[in-house]
Amino acid sequence: MHITADTMPASKSAIIREIAASPLKINLMELGFLPGKTITLNHAAPMGGPMAFLMDETLLALRKSEAALIEVQLL
Amino acid sequence: MSESTVRTPKIALIGNPNVGKSTIFNQLTGLNQKIGNYPGVTVDKKTGWMNYEGSTYEILDLPGTYSLYPNSEDEIIAHRVLNHIDKEKRPDYVLMVIDSCQLSRGLFLATQLIDLGVRLAIVLNMADLAAKKNIEIRNYEIYKSLGVPILSTDARGFKGLEQIKSLIHEKNFSIDSSYLNISEIIPQSLLQPIREKFDLRNDYRAYQMLRFGPKDRSIDPEDRLWIQSLITSQNFDLESAQLEETTIRYRKITSLVESCVVKKEAKKPSSALDKIFLHPVWGYVVFLSILLLIFQTIFTWASVPMDLIDGLFAEISGWVNDVLPAGPLTSLISEGIVPGIGGVVIFIPQIAMLFGFLAILEDTGYMSRVVFLMDRWMRPFGLHGKSIVPLVSGVACAIPGVMAARNIGNWKEKIITILVTPLMSCSARLPVYVILIGLVVPNTDYGIINLQALTLLGLYLLGIIGVLFTALLLKFILKSEEKSFLMVELPTYRTPRWKDVVLTMYSKSKTFVMEAGKVILAISVVLWVLASYGPPSRMEQIRQEGEEKLALAPEDEQDAVKAETSSLLLENSFIGIMGRGIEPVIKPLGYDWKIGIALITSFAAREVFVSTIATIYSIGADVEDELTIRQKLDQQINPATGEKVFNKATAFSLMVFYVFAMQCMSTVAVVYRETKGWKWPLIQTVYMTALAYFAALLTYNIFS
Repeated sequence: MHITADTMPASKSAIIREIAASPLKINLMELGFLPGKTITLNHAAPMGGPMAFLMDETLLALRKSEAALIEVQLL
Repeated sequence: MSESTVRTPKIALIGNPNVGKSTIFNQLTGLNQKIGNYPGVTVDKKTGWMNYEGSTYEILDLPGTYSLYPNSEDEIIAHRVLNHIDKEKRPDYVLMVIDSCQLSRGLFLATQLIDLGVRLAIVLNMADLAAKKNIEIRNYEIYKSLGVPILSTDARGFKGLEQIKSLIHEKNFSIDSSYLNISEIIPQSLLQPIREKFDLRNDYRAYQMLRFGPKDRSIDPEDRLWIQSLITSQNFDLESAQLEETTIRYRKITSLVESCVVKKEAKKPSSALDKIFLHPVWGYVVFLSILLLIFQTIFTWASVPMDLIDGLFAEISGWVNDVLPAGPLTSLISEGIVPGIGGVVIFIPQIAMLFGFLAILEDTGYMSRVVFLMDRWMRPFGLHGKSIVPLVSGVACAIPGVMAARNIGNWKEKIITILVTPLMSCSARLPVYVILIGLVVPNTDYGIINLQALTLLGLYLLGIIGVLFTALLLKFILKSEEKSFLMVELPTYRTPRWKDVVLTMYSKSKTFVMEAGKVILAISVVLWVLASYGPPSRMEQIRQEGEEKLALAPEDEQDAVKAETSSLLLENSFIGIMGRGIEPVIKPLGYDWKIGIALITSFAAREVFVSTIATIYSIGADVEDELTIRQKLDQQINPATGEKVFNKATAFSLMVFYVFAMQCMSTVAVVYRETKGWKWPLIQTVYMTALAYFAALLTYNIFS
């Protein structure tokens, strides 16, 4: 099932399928959010705040709107 | 020997954020550093010199970046330095620092540097962390594939620094190679004309010029137009080309990393601390506790050196008065310049300590957690999660706060942060609040709540409301096309590097003294002239009458007579005349012209209000004795109405005025420095003064 990373359940992992076209796409890719990578949702700030994903042993924080650009497949 | 052969070799240090680049820089150069400015931007230019086996090398510390494509002011610098048209100003060699645990992200930038044709060497830092995480990197494989010399270090543990030094000394950097063939993505019909026109050595440089030349203000406007028309004429989509480049580059790197990194059953990084620090409830509790602890410490610790500095400069003034012959020059030095310098130096303990704490929070990795927690609450007001640092610093002092705003990448969010930070009630407002609250708020307790403490809290909250209101206002006024994004790494927790903390404290204080100090000193001298001089005949008359009275006065009343004379002199000085001049304007706020004088002089700094009021109401020399000032003020009667001058309405109106008014030339100077011009500090000062005026007007009418 394909969903976007902002709707991932807590502490679940997923594989990145695609990054949606957006001016921020390049920034996400530079940080290493690339198709094929595995991400885990480790933390989420309350009230729709930023989300922290674990990828390649680094914790990366994204806003919910930024996470929504990442299409993932849950593992 | 010609000039060019003796030129010191220049080495640029580059790397992603949080890879320990600054630690390496500090350890290579020690205290042998200079902080300057890049033209047109507020990013500090950190240069240092390394001496090794009799040779000197200039090391340039570039701001951390993920790629050669600039997203913020910081990142533009790396781009600009490496692509500099002027070959003389380009670094001779580039040393790229990569976090061993984040190899592919680092190699992304490294391979761009290779394509740029710079002479490169790679340092794989944090080797200790990689070892802990069971990551083994085969350096030789990377070297074979990239043709770039590579070595492993652990800068925190001082391991591998000698190798870096000898690598630099032996000039063991790569020679021309390339990684990605950019001409597969960009047609030669675009690259070739650029290469020829700007005399560029390879296609990748031409591509960079094509992509960013039209926006780069350091390039001749005519050339920029020429590039733009070249792009338009061929109708080429550069942005999708950049995406394509990124995809291909990462694909190549991923297969390289797979072949040279061995991961043995990777341990999960410890996230026990984050379970609490990033917790939806406990995270905020921890943050608040840390804040309280920091402010408690600053107020306790900084007051000691501040009092010492205060006393020292008072003594220097006295000494100058004693040693030099009496005259205008002496009083300019003792009453204008020395207190002016003192007014700059007095901020150093707070600035240094605040930056020390910020450096510790930053270095341990906690600061990005705060950004994570606060972003949600800052954004509705047009601010960024990173704005929390300046705003929190503002409670101690707006100056380091404004200086800390430079980390915010987005222009609009940065400007809003700078403009609202001085509305946080800083420690200089405290003496003003305390004395006015003491005058009109009874010291009674309702249960555990003390009324005076409650009022003080109310004033701080009022400042925060001012911040949020103003930020919201600016959010709708300021227009910006620039995208705002968070995307921040939450680095592994580490113990702070104390040497770096001390260096930060030192360099930030130095920047403040050197840059803001000049403006502060200039304004102090102007204020002194205005307060010391008036219409000559009138001033002379007062002086003579004072001397006559002094001669007649009995021993125990001499001090009082002297105080009365100096009060009269201040009243008739230019500042006194200005105070009377603004009386019609401030009368609706409940102030008389004497308070007007204090408002003008306290533009230098808010706490000056107390000492000016003391002088005007001729309380005598002992300004420190708060009780006497309070009693004297309490006794002041308005001759027109027969009521107390400092009644409830006037005192509250003044408190509210000081909550909102700029009244701090050091802040003005720092905003000038950080925004590179007078536009924003002027807008800010006018706005804050207007806000203060109307809020005070409202307050006066409510209470009277």
